[in-house]
This record gives sequence, structure tokens and C-alpha cells, in this order.
Amino acid sequence: MTNKLLNKTLRVYVGFSVIVLVISAPLFYWLTERLYIEDADETLFLRKEEFLKYNLPTIKTIDINTWNNINRDVRIEDSWMNVKRDSIFYTFYFDSLINENEPYRVLLTPVVIENIPFVLMARINLVESADMLKSIAVLFCVILSALLIGLYFITKRLSSKLWLPFYTTLDQVEQFELGKDVKPDFIQTDVEEFTRLNHSVNRLLEKNLSAYKSQHEFIENAAHELQTPLAVFQAKLDLLVQLVPLTDEIGDILSKLNDATSRLNRINKNLLLLSKIENNQYAFMEQVSVGDLVEKQTEFLIEQSEDKKVSVTIKRIEPIKINANLTLLEIAISNLLLNALRHNESRGQIIIDFHQNKLTISNTSKQSFLDREKLFQRFSNPGQDGGSGLGLSIIKKICDLHGWTVNYAYREHLHIFQIVF
Amino acid sequence: MKILIIEDGRQLAESIVEYLGKEGYHCEVAFRLEEAIEKVMMYKYECILLDITLPDGNGLTILERLKEEGKMEGVIIISAKDSIDDRVKGLKLGADDYLAKPFHLSELSARIGALIRRRNFQGSDRIVFEELSIDAQAQLVRVSGNALTLTRKEYNLLLFLLSNKGRVISKNAIAEHLSGDMTEMLDNLGFVYAHIKNLKRKLNEAGCGDYIKTLYGFGYKWQK
Repeated sequence: MTNKLLNKTLRVYVGFSVIVLVISAPLFYWLTERLYIEDADETLFLRKEEFLKYNLPTIKTIDINTWNNINRDVRIEDSWMNVKRDSIFYTFYFDSLINENEPYRVLLTPVVIENIPFVLMARINLVESADMLKSIAVLFCVILSALLIGLYFITKRLSSKLWLPFYTTLDQVEQFELGKDVKPDFIQTDVEEFTRLNHSVNRLLEKNLSAYKSQHEFIENAAHELQTPLAVFQAKLDLLVQLVPLTDEIGDILSKLNDATSRLNRINKNLLLLSKIENNQYAFMEQVSVGDLVEKQTEFLIEQSEDKKVSVTIKRIEPIKINANLTLLEIAISNLLLNALRHNESRGQIIIDFHQNKLTISNTSKQSFLDREKLFQRFSNPGQDGGSGLGLSIIKKICDLHGWTVNYAYREHLHIFQIVF
Repeated sequence: MKILIIEDGRQLAESIVEYLGKEGYHCEVAFRLEEAIEKVMMYKYECILLDITLPDGNGLTILERLKEEGKMEGVIIISAKDSIDDRVKGLKLGADDYLAKPFHLSELSARIGALIRRRNFQGSDRIVFEELSIDAQAQLVRVSGNALTLTRKEYNLLLFLLSNKGRVISKNAIAEHLSGDMTEMLDNLGFVYAHIKNLKRKLNEAGCGDYIKTLYGFGYKWQK
């Protein structure tokens, strides 16, 4: 499956953002917490220094209870613990007011009051810090989400705007068809890459067009030039047969020469026909009755089919007129019919049906399924059966010109060609 | 009977002269437009074969000049271009027929024959060969005075053979003559044999001599 360019960039952006978010969120949390603890520690040491500087020189042992009653967070405790130097740590104290254990940062310092060792305990409640951290984390998430969503929409909008010239070019190149005189008209853009792209595509198309045109002219000229020597060849051959004694052997050779010449003529005529169709020399359209044409040509087909004992059946013919160039439609139908006969087998059958704007011609054949891809290309079917190798490509060209479709199918041992008008 | 061939391809012109010469036509050739105009203005021809693409101009000019001068020569355009425009234009300018190159000389001969008959025997366009007589106007065939019924194809075939009497005609030429534009794709010539067989039988039954000689593998010849 292919992805649109836009989605690809977006996906990379979003992926990157998520990775940054996932890594940075715990990092951010940890960093904030450390900063807060450092801050708390600093405060605790400050309180200790304050106590040592301002309170310790004046305090008496009898004041300790009073002190402790007033100062909940800087207390003087009995030296029940063996505190030799400053120690700082986390712990929980039970808060009777809210009936919960609360986290604290505690600093213990040994002090001596009236020669009795005591322990100074300074503490800070960390509940506030937890709350703050939570708020920060939430805020962080909100900001990042906003950033992501914003990024998504901005990229999407900006990109579709930025890439608009690209998509326009793409559409035009997709619609471009050699042989049709419509040249793509790219929109002007101030983006260097797109200007370059348009320029290059334009140059490429122009090269293609001119190559196509010169090839086209070459075919036409070659076919025209061949007419004269072919005419001479044909005429001389006609004269030759008047002069030589026509024994079986000579007759056979001359006959084969004649067949080859006829085939050359047909190929040449069909090449010219293709050129003429491409040159739009058959632009005149009129209302044509398909049924009349089919019936007229079937008469000839039946006569031709007698030799091979092929049966020709007309299933349905609707009296419908369509807008078409008479000459070309006639050629298309006769090519289809003669193809059906040429590739048929002895005692085979041809079925003709014109129904609901669809002309269907089915025939039996010794050949089985044909390669649909190559079928309508020039000279794709080696003309073993004496065809010019151009019949189907002419049919295709005629259908293209009129905007019809031509289909091929192989069902129940029948080759089925269908023109949908 | 005089025929003017206006054709710049010398080889082709020579071949036409040779083939038609044996049919008793007197042929003259013009390779250039200027030369052709001169000849057309000076002499009278039964029929003019006109190529459109000439080295010094468009052959259609001749038709315009003929019209201006009020000359009524029969003209058959022989062209390599075979474009509908040229065909329509040529016929509009007064040409009688149009034959695309390449063509069989027998076809050309038949066309010239038909054109000359049409112009010379207005009203009674008749061909006679021994006991056989054909009224081309009414498309009626008689053998020793008795009417003979032929299909359209058989009639065309008979006329084609008669127009080239004494000449060898290939199956291909007959096939193309009988099927017209449909020959584009045609390669099975069996139907020619079938038509010849039927025509021979009908002529034979009517008491006509067997003039159609089969040249095995190649074609046919109308010969006494």
C-alpha cells in the first residue's frame, strides 16, 4: 500500500514528538523533584544555622518544652538517637489532623544545651511538593498535547498548501496523453523545487511530444513514399504475368508474389489510415445507424464465410443511431467482422449482437485466450493468418477517437469483442 | 482511342502505357503539369488519367482548366494520397472516377473501359463478344438473344473479365474489384473461385462458349 506524502511526514513528526514526550516526562519529573528537595534541604540547613546562631546561646533546658510547643517544625529532642553529625533523610509522620501519614524531609543535628546533648530536628512537609509536582506534570502533558495537536494540524494545512503545486502537476501529468493536443499548464509557484519539477516535466513532455510527432510523421511519410514503388511493383507484376508462360510452377510463384504485394498494400494502407485518424482527418460526425452498417457488412461476411463453412448468426439488432464518423465506424465494424472470420476455424461460428448500445461479436477459433495486454498493439499478433497486424489497433484508435470502449473476453470457447458506444 | 496519362512516376506511366497499348488505346504521357495543360488544351482525349501530386503543381488544376475551357474529357484521378478531401474535391471539380495507388492494371483498364463506354454510347452502353451481349446501362446480359440472370457480383465479374479480354487477371485483382473497400483486411480469396465457378456454370447452361480460362494457382483469362 502506498502512503500519501503528507501522512508520511506527519507520521515522522508525531513519532518524534511521542518519543520526546515519553523520555522527557519522567526526566522532567525527576529534575523538578530534585530541585525541590535541594531547596528543602537548603531551608532546613538555614533553619539549623539560624537556631545555632540566634537561639542556642540563650536557650535553657527548661525552655525546651515551651520551644517545642511553639515550633512544630524545629524541635529539640532528647538525644535518644545516637546522632553524631548532621543527618538528613525522608520519613513519615502521622498527622492527627487529617489522619494520614505525611512525607517529611528531616534534618537531625546534635546540639548541647547546658552541657546536656540534645538533637535538633528540623523538618519540612513534602506534601506540598508532591502536589506541585503533580500539577507540573499535568501542565507539562497539556502543553505537550497542545503542541502535538497543533503540530498535526499546522503540518497538515501547511503541507497541503505547500504541496498544492506538486499535486496539480501530478494531476496534469496523469491526465496527459500523447497524441492528444492538450499540453499541461502548470501553475506558477515560488518554491524553487516545484519550479524545477515543472520545468523538467515540461521539457520531458515537450521532448516526448516532438519524438511522438516525428515518429508519427515518419510513419506517414514512409507509408506515402512506399505507395509509389508499390504501385510500380504491382503494375510491373501485372505486366509480367501477360508475358511469361503461366506454368503451374511460375503461376504459383507469381501468385505468391501477388499475395505478398496485396498484404504490403494492406499494411501500408492501414498505416496511413492510423496516421489519418491521428491527424484528425475524420473529424466529421453524423448520426449513423449501427444496425444498417452491420447488416450491410454481414452480407459480405456471409459470402466470405462460405468457404470456411462458418455460420454467421445475428442475435439482436436494435434500430439505434449513434453519433460517429461513418467511414471510421464502417472500418471498425468490418475489421471486427473480418477478424472474427479470419481467425475462425472450419465449421465454426460467428455471433453478432447489437443490444443496449453494445456491439458484441463472438467467434470460435483454434486459438485459445489471447493476451489482452498486447491485443490492441500494432503488429503484436504475428500475421500468420494474412492480416495486416493493424486491424485491432485501428479499432482501438477509432474507439478512442469517439470515446467508446472496446473490450475483449474469452468465455466458453468464444472470443468476444465488444464495442460499448 | 486516345488516352492522356498525367503521371510523374515514369515507371508507372510506362507500365500503364504498355498495358493499355495492348488493349488498343493510343496513349500519351505528360510528366509535368505544364506539359499536361499544353496537351489538354491542344488535343482531344477519350480519357485522362490524372495524378494529383505533380512536381510543378497540383493535378487538380487541370480539372479547373478543363472546366474553364468547357472541355468534357473523362478524367480518372490516380492518386497516392487517397485522402477523402482530395477525392471529394476531385469529383466535385468534374473528375469521373478516383483510383487509389497502388492499383491493378486490370482494374484501371476496367475503369477506363466503363468510363469510355458511358461517355460514347449514351443511352445504349453495349458490349458484345461473340454470342454474348451486355447492356451495361440496363445491366442486362443476353446469350444468343436470351436473357441471363446473374447476381450483382457475377455481373461485375463478367464485366471485369470482358474489359480485360485476352489478359491474365490475378485472383487478387478480381477479389479487390469485387469487394471494393472491404478488401482492406481480405486475405481469403476462396470466394473468387466460387463466383467464377457459378458464372461459368450459368454461362454454360445458357449455351455460351467457355471463354473463362483458369490459370491454375494464379488467376483467370477471358479468351476465345
